[in-house]
Amino acid sequence: MRINGHSYTIDYGHLALVGLIGGATLWYLFDARAVSTSINNILLVQPTAIFALLMCLLILPQCFHRVADEMAAPAKAKQDEYDPLMPKLPTERSDVIRMGGLGAALGVFVFALDIVGFDIAIFFFTAASMAICGERRPARLVLYSLAVTICTVYGFRALIPFPMATTIL
Amino acid sequence: MLDFSAFQDALGLMFTSAGSWGWIVPGLIVGLVFSAIPGVSITMAMAIVLPMSLYMDFFSAIVFLTSVYTGAGYGGSVPAILMNIPGSPSSFATTFDGYAMSKKGQHNEALGYALFASTICGILGYVLLLLVIEPMANIVLRIGPVEMFAVAVWGMLLLGSLGSKYLTRGLLAAAFGILLGTVGMNTAGFVRGTMGIPTLLDGIPPIPAMIGLLAAGQLLTLAGKDYILDAEEAREVSVRKILKGCWGTMKYPGVLIRGSIIGIIIGAVPGVGSSIGNLIAYAETKRTSKDSASFGKGNPKGVIAAESAVASAEGGSMATMLALGIPGGGATAILIAAFMMHNIVPGPSFIENQKPMVYAIILNNIVQALVLLVVGIGFIYVASSVVKVRTRYILPAILVIATLGTYAVTGETAGPITLFVFALLGFALVRYEYPIAAVVVGILLGRMLETEFLRSYQLSGGNPLYIFQRPAAMAIFGVMLISLFMTAWGKRKQAKQEAEEEAAMEALHQQELAGRKS
Repeated sequence: MRINGHSYTIDYGHLALVGLIGGATLWYLFDARAVSTSINNILLVQPTAIFALLMCLLILPQCFHRVADEMAAPAKAKQDEYDPLMPKLPTERSDVIRMGGLGAALGVFVFALDIVGFDIAIFFFTAASMAICGERRPARLVLYSLAVTICTVYGFRALIPFPMATTIL
Repeated sequence: MLDFSAFQDALGLMFTSAGSWGWIVPGLIVGLVFSAIPGVSITMAMAIVLPMSLYMDFFSAIVFLTSVYTGAGYGGSVPAILMNIPGSPSSFATTFDGYAMSKKGQHNEALGYALFASTICGILGYVLLLLVIEPMANIVLRIGPVEMFAVAVWGMLLLGSLGSKYLTRGLLAAAFGILLGTVGMNTAGFVRGTMGIPTLLDGIPPIPAMIGLLAAGQLLTLAGKDYILDAEEAREVSVRKILKGCWGTMKYPGVLIRGSIIGIIIGAVPGVGSSIGNLIAYAETKRTSKDSASFGKGNPKGVIAAESAVASAEGGSMATMLALGIPGGGATAILIAAFMMHNIVPGPSFIENQKPMVYAIILNNIVQALVLLVVGIGFIYVASSVVKVRTRYILPAILVIATLGTYAVTGETAGPITLFVFALLGFALVRYEYPIAAVVVGILLGRMLETEFLRSYQLSGGNPLYIFQRPAAMAIFGVMLISLFMTAWGKRKQAKQEAEEEAAMEALHQQELAGRKS
């Protein structure tokens, strides 16, 4: 994209995130106002939501990068030291795939808990995440997953007062 | 102040019921192990063992339960330091510098700092409690919504400490966190943002949300690594280094005292507890520290400040419970239940009629803090071994335990689903360099901020001058403003000094050059 003779690239991911936060904030503000415009309802929510929307507008230009700046960016990035308050995601393709795979497995796991039972969900999630992290030996995959399933199901059953739906255990 | 005759009776009571001391170690172990499991709170650990205490005599039961409380106060810092997952919200601030130290291979020292800070400040909290239990009760009774609101705002000041590369992104993250924290039914009965989901009436569960946000930033990124710590030498578990960390804590008496005072005061306020105390203690220590730039990057003072507030908050909440019979939080509510199971009602009459027993309970807690030092080192040694296990084994187990921990909080799959949704949000926030910690602080404090703001507004009738009728609130706001002013002044002075030094060096350099030429 070209504006005033300069080339810009758009960070669509960041734009989507700002849009998501801004959209969610706007929806929440309207939802709160739809419930009641009483001060007892919107005393904190309304000013905070307006402030958040203002921040979204200020951040919006950061989603557009000048091409010349981007070319200088990698050299600058190297100077940045590790900051645990601002963790960085891995950039290597294999690491990104593993991370994405583990995230997807976690998603399937949490939604499967009530459907297939905690025991089966834990067993398959453990085996899948071990495989994603690099374990290939079938015996270890099965035995370790089984051990994690038995320990966590019986351990948490003894700990928590809520029922845990299981299929086998 | 201290009643010496009752104190002597308390010592007698302590030594005649020496059998009850045997419950200290099992209680500490139960507390340490349970609270190290993300999602299993101190309250839950105490609730699980409460029925066991029914068959003990009163003093033994209280010794056992308070030992669980003491152990659990420290236990949460172990996963916070080793894996960046706080066992409970009260260990959240420990992750900032504790995990950073772990990443540098200083996990032994970090755990040592946390343990010794917990021990010293646990003792300090109870010694202070021993001296001021009665006047403190009177102070607590004067605390109202305006003061609570001031405390919540003080907690939010932590956001200034969470240095982000982009100020706007940090502020948006905090505001979004606060909004997420207010979802559900507010104190006035208005229901917002629930999308018709009944679970959200009580708001977004903060612990699953917190674990989800942090898990995305740290746990999932471990999938590509062979071990939690890359360097082999960093994976060493060394008692010598743990003790070095313990000893190193003594170098920072100011941090310990500040953290303790904040912890005791915040802990004594019913309904606030250590989850805010650790944030405030961390923020204040960073704000007043000369090396504030190194906070969040593995500064031991960050670990000490957070843990000292958590440990001393226990003394504060016990003061409210013993003196007034009001539970400061879930853990003290369980203790009141234990009192009642033995037909004893804590409160002003209990202190008046059973002062030796009150002193004996406090003295026993001091003993527990000392025993924690020994039991804690053993526990750290075992728990630290987690860094020696390959990621392919430890990561699936941690994720399963964290997920079941969130189920333990909510009692339905809403907990694990919240974890997953916030893991996705956390992933996006990390990707685009938004400070996750700011969202977590917002979620933790949003509800309290709204509730106390609303109550203050209702009490004052919308008149801001009402604050002049609340000296305690004015004092809190005053301390906050003075602290902010002093920091700004100190930084300006430091910058001026640095500029002068630089100018002097430049002048010296010019003189040298001129000397060479002549």
